[in-house]
Amino acid sequence: MAALRRLIGFVPGMVQCARQGAGLHRAAIAVPLMNGLLSRNLTTSAENKPTVRPVNPLVQKTLRDFGNYIGECLPKFVQKVQVTTGDELEVLIHPDGVLPVLTFLRDHTNAQFTNFIDVCGVDMPTRECRFEVVYNLLSLRYNSRIRVKTYTDELTPIDSCSDIYKGAIWFEREIWDMYGVFFSNHPDLRRILTDYGFEGHPFRKDFPLTGYIEMRYDDEVKRVVAEPVEFTQEFRKFEYSTPWEMFPAYNQKAQEAAEAAPEEKGEGEKK
Amino acid sequence: MASRLIRQSQGATKIVKQILSTDKAEARRRVLNLYKAWYRQIPYVVLNYEIPGVTVKDGRVKLREMFMKNKHVTDLRAIDFLVIRGQMELVETVNIWKQKNHIMTWFKDTWNPKPADFLSKFYEGN
Amino acid sequence: MATLLKIWPLMGRRILGNPAACLACKSARTASGSSDQPEVELFVNDIPVSVPPGTTVLQACAEVGVQIPRFCYHDRLSIAGNCRMCLVEVEKSAKPVASCAMPVMKGMRVKTDSEIARKAREGVMEFLLMNHPLDCPICDQGGECDLQDQSMVFGSDRSRFVDMDHEGKRAVEDKDIGPLVKTIMTRCIQCTRCVRFANEIAGVEEIGTTGRGSDMQIGTYVEKLFGSELSGNIIDICPVGALTSKPYAFTARPWENRKTESIDVMDALGSNIIVATREGSVIRILPRLHEDINEEWLSDRSRFAYDGLKRQRLVSPMVKDASGTLVSCEWEDAFFTILDRLTGVTGSEIAAIAGGHADAESLIVLKDLLNRLGSEALCTEEIFPMDAAGTDLRSNYLLNTQISGIEEAEVVLLVGTNPRYEAPLLNARIRKSWLHNDLTVGVIGPQLDLTYEYDHLGDSTKVLQELAAGTHPFNKVLSSTKRAMIIVGSAVLQRADGGAIHAAMSTLAQNHRVKSGCDESWRVLNVLQRVASQVAALDLGYKAGVQVVRDNPPKVLYLLGADEQTVTKADLPSDCFVVYQGCHGDAGASMADVVLPGAAYTEKVGTYVNTEGRAQQTQVAVTPPGMAREDWKIIRALSEIVGQTLPYDNLNEVRRRLAQMSPNLTRYGDVEEANYFKQAEELAKSVKSSLASDALTPPQLSLKDFYMVDSISRASQTMAHCVAAVTKAEAK
Repeated sequence: MAALRRLIGFVPGMVQCARQGAGLHRAAIAVPLMNGLLSRNLTTSAENKPTVRPVNPLVQKTLRDFGNYIGECLPKFVQKVQVTTGDELEVLIHPDGVLPVLTFLRDHTNAQFTNFIDVCGVDMPTRECRFEVVYNLLSLRYNSRIRVKTYTDELTPIDSCSDIYKGAIWFEREIWDMYGVFFSNHPDLRRILTDYGFEGHPFRKDFPLTGYIEMRYDDEVKRVVAEPVEFTQEFRKFEYSTPWEMFPAYNQKAQEAAEAAPEEKGEGEKK
Repeated sequence: MASRLIRQSQGATKIVKQILSTDKAEARRRVLNLYKAWYRQIPYVVLNYEIPGVTVKDGRVKLREMFMKNKHVTDLRAIDFLVIRGQMELVETVNIWKQKNHIMTWFKDTWNPKPADFLSKFYEGN
Repeated sequence: MATLLKIWPLMGRRILGNPAACLACKSARTASGSSDQPEVELFVNDIPVSVPPGTTVLQACAEVGVQIPRFCYHDRLSIAGNCRMCLVEVEKSAKPVASCAMPVMKGMRVKTDSEIARKAREGVMEFLLMNHPLDCPICDQGGECDLQDQSMVFGSDRSRFVDMDHEGKRAVEDKDIGPLVKTIMTRCIQCTRCVRFANEIAGVEEIGTTGRGSDMQIGTYVEKLFGSELSGNIIDICPVGALTSKPYAFTARPWENRKTESIDVMDALGSNIIVATREGSVIRILPRLHEDINEEWLSDRSRFAYDGLKRQRLVSPMVKDASGTLVSCEWEDAFFTILDRLTGVTGSEIAAIAGGHADAESLIVLKDLLNRLGSEALCTEEIFPMDAAGTDLRSNYLLNTQISGIEEAEVVLLVGTNPRYEAPLLNARIRKSWLHNDLTVGVIGPQLDLTYEYDHLGDSTKVLQELAAGTHPFNKVLSSTKRAMIIVGSAVLQRADGGAIHAAMSTLAQNHRVKSGCDESWRVLNVLQRVASQVAALDLGYKAGVQVVRDNPPKVLYLLGADEQTVTKADLPSDCFVVYQGCHGDAGASMADVVLPGAAYTEKVGTYVNTEGRAQQTQVAVTPPGMAREDWKIIRALSEIVGQTLPYDNLNEVRRRLAQMSPNLTRYGDVEEANYFKQAEELAKSVKSSLASDALTPPQLSLKDFYMVDSISRASQTMAHCVAAVTKAEAK
């Protein structure tokens, strides 16, 4: 928490929005050029690894620069900027910054993310703030996408962005319904997917796959009744470790190596 | 964003964002308001949904039971959450978005009681 | 001696008497031969480690937690060094070194993950796979295959195998070695683990290699049955899918199985097992490591009789109708029928017999119920002489020295027992000790193949008398050692003169203890029980043997899984009402008026005390079929019906009651020792009966007697196939 406070508290004076250099502006023009240029060069390496999508280093760099630019413009809210899977820009922000950051991204000349794709939730029960809320935006002007991530727990509300993007209304209802994340100042927050009377939030990881109640039509009372789930068949649960596993150390090493590999790229972390 | 709650946990104070209520009295008022709203609506609910075998009195007993189920909750934000959910339920009920079976789910009339003593558990197979 | 390694092939025990190399590194350290020599220091991946001389490089690597891939090396078998998978780089050595067969040398610098080592492994793997079929999708070993796992970790990621016309891969004809082990010999990588297991552990020298180079084959030389009671273990030790389980063939993949750690009840050793289940039925049983009981082996009956758990099961309560046939009914009906018959019957007219699979929980609940009804006539099927101290002193009926004690013993005297079939893993211990520790074995009983050499002292009871009197030549052998064991089979104690036999052996043992000046903690007298429930039943105060029932014919007889026909209808008055509770429709159920379906050992949490006096518990792997219930619950429910509600409702409360009766029953995993040998021996002098002249013969003499001994194995088709196969092989 203290570290977080330090990050937020770091406000280096006025933001210089007029700086042109780091915007998406130039990249948008440069990318088609480079694509044509690089496609010929990339064919040789593509043959070696046909399933791996080649990443245009120029695009990557442009995104990273733009990400850093956002970080410099909104130092109070942006905690980290990263480029994942080669060319996807992610901005991780403090939950208080949802409205300012989204407003910035929508209205800034060099961003113009006017098209709202969706908001979704992610549940990570081991974290202190277990829910992640992810906004996906599209800038038609610069043919570019951005992902804004923030976090919350079960009881902390998040500001609804429905004033900035009207399209968010249903998506936020969905997150409320599926995860139980409360959006304050939402015009019409109520269930959207689950049945009336349904209790619980099904996308939470601690919600069982079967749910708690099951519905059936009861011929005696002539209506649908809801009763506690009864298992007629056990779940199939797979055991992947061999009974005579001999080399956990070697396997672990290989696994760690595989995990470490993608993380090395594109960490445009803000200091 | 300006209003914040201070929550005591394990000796350390943590500032958390409030949902609705700033203090206990306010939370209590919200709960009572919700209770009253439900209480007033129950006759109409019973009438509109044409529920057989459920009287207004049954409904009020059930209402009280469901409120008392959460009487142990002391966290203001948790209380607010429950109030919000209760409010949503009320809207769904009053607008007749729900159907009869949704109302009857509360009464659990078809649930088989779990056997309590050894012998009936034994016959049941546990 | 200790610096020598035991290199396969193992020709005979006299050449290679070195146990240290075969045991795991830890025990090698404590071995007496190596303690006086200084330890050797070497470096594994630059980590220094000191080990006793004679340790292999592979074991030294294991000491520092570096695992080396291997196929042929196995902790409990001698070293073959023929798979070459364990190659490592040793500095200043020209070639990579097979670490499993290389003794450590001072200052050695071993590199297990260097370029050379990796390259060597990759090469070995490539050679192995060159002749290994690519039939993993239809191979039963898939998912638990060493070759599969290791090729993923250590193999190359691309193939240089270009034989697209399928001309070159080696193909080997499959062998038929019996109804338990399925062989697909093309998959064999010639690690010879099975050969070494058969020769060393099982002591059945029927598997070997023929041919050389790529024509080398594993087999039984001529087409014949692999006649061992431990044959299933070669399935476990086979690193590939060459030897797989026939009954389990194509049943399931290992990752679909649910594994429950449990205890075996097929003999009195209480081997630790893993019960694998899928979709609510037991699909296989594997051994679980327990160094003091079964090591990592399991006898064939314990491993393969599980299909008996699905056949001949009692799935609903049954009551005999007017025409005398048993008809299925509800639990209430069965209980009230019993209640009808119990009213008006006095306590002394009720009796109960507990069978060999009864768990301690049901035993205590049944005892409490009958005691409340006023009856004391509770007995077990297995007889144990009640003369003198009888079952009052625990030391009388336990395997006091414990199974692992055999490895410390120097002389073992087997009296009227055939451990090879009564307790195969105990026999494997005796063989292990005979092989590595120069154990001397004496046998009183018929001359049988016990897989080791022994001094046959004859089979008459006269030998016992002479031994007790100290005039027999074997007394000299006994007196030459401080660590002697006498193992009396429970089978001969069933005889009328069982008391006298026990007394004679008790005297012999006590004399030996006094005269040899052995350690106070060393126990000599051992009784080898044959059924899993016996020790717990005797601990709880059951009377051994059904004489009580014969003497006072009861009006109501309660059979708790008693299927051995120790009491038949002919022994009982015609109006006697028989209640049978158990899992299988066997002899007991057929004479019953009311049948109550109970749970088998894979379906309940039950306490069993093995012949050493070690309490262990089974776990629920599957739910009991149909309306069957856990056994103690049935009796508890019945107690409520008959108006004598017992004061416990759940397992913990029953266990508390168990602990009240006999605290050792709930100390799971521990052996509760018994110590009153002197008193027992003094009391034994009061035994009146004298030894009969009949020969001391245990009931299980040949392999075909081994497979079917209880209601589960009698219901098992696999066991029936085994009996048929053995009978056929013997007829040849």
